[in-house]
Amino acid sequence: MYLLYSFRLAFQSLWREKWINLLSVLTIAAGLFMITLTFFVVYNIDLATKRLPARFSVMLYLDDGLSEQETGSIIAQLKKNNAVEQARYIAKDKALEELKGVLKNADYILEGIDENPLPASIEIKLKKESVNIASVKKFAAEIKKIKGIAEVEYGEQFLNSIHSIKGMAKAGSLSLIIIMSAGVIFVCYSTLKIAFYRRKEEIETFKLLGATRGFIRAPFVIEGSVLGMFGGIASMAAAFAFYYVLFYKVTATIPILKILVFPLETFPALPIVGLLLGIGGAVIALGRIRFS
Amino acid sequence: MIHFSNVTKFYENQAAIKNITFSVEKGEMVFMTGPSGAGKSTLLKIIYLSEKPDEGSVTIAEWDLSKLKESNIPFLRRNIGVVFQDFRLLDNRNVFDNVAIALRIRGMLEGEIQEWVMEILKMVNLRHKADSFSRALSGGEQQRVVIARAIVGEPTILLADEPTGNIDPDTAAGITRLFKEINARGTTVVVATHNRELYRNTGRRVFRLDSGNMVGEEIG
Repeated sequence: MYLLYSFRLAFQSLWREKWINLLSVLTIAAGLFMITLTFFVVYNIDLATKRLPARFSVMLYLDDGLSEQETGSIIAQLKKNNAVEQARYIAKDKALEELKGVLKNADYILEGIDENPLPASIEIKLKKESVNIASVKKFAAEIKKIKGIAEVEYGEQFLNSIHSIKGMAKAGSLSLIIIMSAGVIFVCYSTLKIAFYRRKEEIETFKLLGATRGFIRAPFVIEGSVLGMFGGIASMAAAFAFYYVLFYKVTATIPILKILVFPLETFPALPIVGLLLGIGGAVIALGRIRFS
Repeated sequence: MIHFSNVTKFYENQAAIKNITFSVEKGEMVFMTGPSGAGKSTLLKIIYLSEKPDEGSVTIAEWDLSKLKESNIPFLRRNIGVVFQDFRLLDNRNVFDNVAIALRIRGMLEGEIQEWVMEILKMVNLRHKADSFSRALSGGEQQRVVIARAIVGEPTILLADEPTGNIDPDTAAGITRLFKEINARGTTVVVATHNRELYRNTGRRVFRLDSGNMVGEEIG
């Protein structure tokens, strides 16, 4: 097998051009680190929107003067709906009590109000899979038809904004990840293209002596893998430094940042991603090898 | 072993060889001669598939070159050892590595390569120079390294393009002896040269080329 010899050729070439290769490794590392940061932002946006269903609720305001039986019937109908996870009845008195609790420091607002102006309501928690614009709209339209329900409120604008922020963040990050990955591939490509031109004479001789495409390509693919992998390792070190500073230093002064999550799987993934992008760059740089 | 039938090769509308037909039998040693630009190198390049003929057909060791898949070219080349006119030695490697590369390409194990290369270097009288870099050798020594690299893989055909071009008569005589030895082992040898001394009184067939035409065949 010629693989051992290919490794020898690859490492000789890497060593011969060590400064150019070091520069390539650092550039690859910078690209992969940017990808990591972008991924970190998307990951946290995604996590925040996944937490949304637990906090999201639909409020149903009931007509005044409904009997206990009528209210019970409405709750029973709601519970039969497949989208509903939980329905909590809030009586007029309870609603006023909750409002007073909220306005604890501004109770003058309620001064002079003799009669309870708040309607009875039902707070509905929807099932996780139903917390999306289409399902919530459909659900609101369905329950509005139930007799005794005066108004349905679910923060349509809020839901729309969250949805579009998530969409924009995902699209933007994906574009950035693709651009940065292409950048990493380009760095490997140009480094290996230079190495290929430098060894053109040698490669021509190899071809004339009967070398196969595999024999010619192997050292360059190994070089690309090594450059990509070392770039990945360097970016892993940078990502770890970022993780350490953010979660052990910055959160001490800004505790709210503790809600952020850094996916630890990123660390071992970086050298692998670097290696794959390095191989990609090498394959593109070599193109089709012709013998005649 | 080698069969050319009405082969023509053009370079920028200028024919380098025209309508060439000849055959070389297995185990034969032949010479191609003629002045510079006669087409000797082009003819050899077609045999080792560095160039494709524009017209005619070529058969090498039962392989019809017009039907040969590109991916099979390396395997055919392994049957052909070439002594290049410009040597094509790897300057940044020593003599051992320059010869060993032909075996590494074939996927031979390093242990076997060590033994086999030293054996061949002994044959070309360069064993003591195994660790020297090729650029530090004399012209004659470099020529012998190229011959060692060409024969180390035990090819069925050996091609030599002006093998005595820049070397003194004594070294040239030694190289001719070496080719005869290789031929005696059963390898078909084709030598392209304009040096009459190389084929005089050899009793071998000599093909004479001029301006791309085959102008004659004689016994040297």
